[in-house]
Amino acid sequence: MTTPVDTLDVTGEPLDDGALVPPGTAVTALELEALLFVAEKPLSRAEIGRICRLDAASVDNLLGDLEVALRGRGVRLVVNGERVELATAPEAGALIARYVGADGARLTAAALETLAIIAYRQPVTRGGIERVRGVDSDYVVRSLLHKRLVAEQGRAETPGRPILYGTSFEFMERFGLTSLEDLPPLDAEVAGRLAEGAAEARAGAADAGADLDG
Amino acid sequence: MPPAIARHDLSTLPLATPGAASMHIMPDAHPDRATHVMMDSFDGPLALLLTLIEQRQLDVLHVPLGELATAFLEALTEVTVDQLPHISAFITVASQLILIKSRALLPRAPKLAARAVDDGIDPEEALRLRLLEYKRYRDVATVLAARLDAGVSLFHREPAAASAAGQAGARPEPGPAIDPERLRRAIERALLIAPPPPEPPEVIRRVVTIEERADIIRRALRRAPDVVLQDLLRDSRDRVVIAVTFLAMLEMTKTREVIIEQHEPWGPIHCRRWVPTSETVGEPVA
Repeated sequence: MTTPVDTLDVTGEPLDDGALVPPGTAVTALELEALLFVAEKPLSRAEIGRICRLDAASVDNLLGDLEVALRGRGVRLVVNGERVELATAPEAGALIARYVGADGARLTAAALETLAIIAYRQPVTRGGIERVRGVDSDYVVRSLLHKRLVAEQGRAETPGRPILYGTSFEFMERFGLTSLEDLPPLDAEVAGRLAEGAAEARAGAADAGADLDG
Repeated sequence: MPPAIARHDLSTLPLATPGAASMHIMPDAHPDRATHVMMDSFDGPLALLLTLIEQRQLDVLHVPLGELATAFLEALTEVTVDQLPHISAFITVASQLILIKSRALLPRAPKLAARAVDDGIDPEEALRLRLLEYKRYRDVATVLAARLDAGVSLFHREPAAASAAGQAGARPEPGPAIDPERLRRAIERALLIAPPPPEPPEVIRRVVTIEERADIIRRALRRAPDVVLQDLLRDSRDRVVIAVTFLAMLEMTKTREVIIEQHEPWGPIHCRRWVPTSETVGEPVA
């Protein structure tokens, strides 16, 4: 827990222009919660650091404090890599969906399995997705992009610099995940068998291993 | 015909497998077409192969994949036109299945078998690993799909004014705190200037006629010789009533029933009974 060292600015000096937080004032998890509440959009860790005048490690600590403080509350901290936001708790999902009249747009089996591949292997190229599915996935990936469930995450440093895909906040919200660590675990038995296979094929050119990019 | 594929049994197998919702194997009345596979446009060869295995309730970890070659090829005859762009992917897997099947059928010389080990992974194992890799994502997709139906979605607040201000870097100038006492004084002053308006009367829709308002003027004139219009309308807040009363007064002037006088703009409008002998005939104000 970050403790406020000097919360009172008793000097009466005018604040440094551009400083959102007076120097020497430590930001509390309470303040961070208020900031994310007002921001109404995901903030990056860098943005939070700039606004709160904190280094990266302090931002991570503060976010950890806030995440713990919000457990069991109606509003939770949702962490998607570099970016965080406040969102309603999964337990309240049905009620809020009723209030906002959210449409439960269906996803096809192809879309769901593609989404699963992207969620567990992100960042992943379309080639990486197609190697798992064994079929052209251009249309499915584009439809997921259109639904904003996946987002481009830069490009792989491989020939052709293919686009890397990852899941979005929209994905986490739709599936009620406050962190990617909440994703349901993959089949352990199969994972063991795949690890065996990957070990056997280490020298070979088998493409069934846990290759991440192409 | 491999023993694992018993055609007559297909119709009794459960048709819907979890996770393969878009792919159904349909029992056909035609005995030669017992395996009728309906595929979603973007299901691939691995999805098809896995569906064929699951339809037969076989274990993907141990099933001899070569035995599925025939069923796979039969299913391929049902591939629809919109899947033609992907047909090469299906043919690749079909050729792998045939290779696996032929390897299983032909007795291999020990020398060849040894070479196969040197070649690295055997094709059946390679295909099985791809199948397993595909299966774990397809299976977890059904878990994810269940979450969609479970009503556990999260909702964020929609961006609004505060976020726009934050993006624009807008910050109000820091000024002295406002003393709530000033607010109290301000409201007291305002109350002194403007007394609170009377409670608005209950609104009832009604038809206001000139005749009805003329009767009211006549009744007032029976009680007093001179009636001021503003006094008559003091409790009236309905503009229609006021206008109709005024019109009634003008109408009565026209029929020489009353005389109206107003000595200055916005001043009181006096109304008297018309007396033919009267000498004080004023200019009626229209």
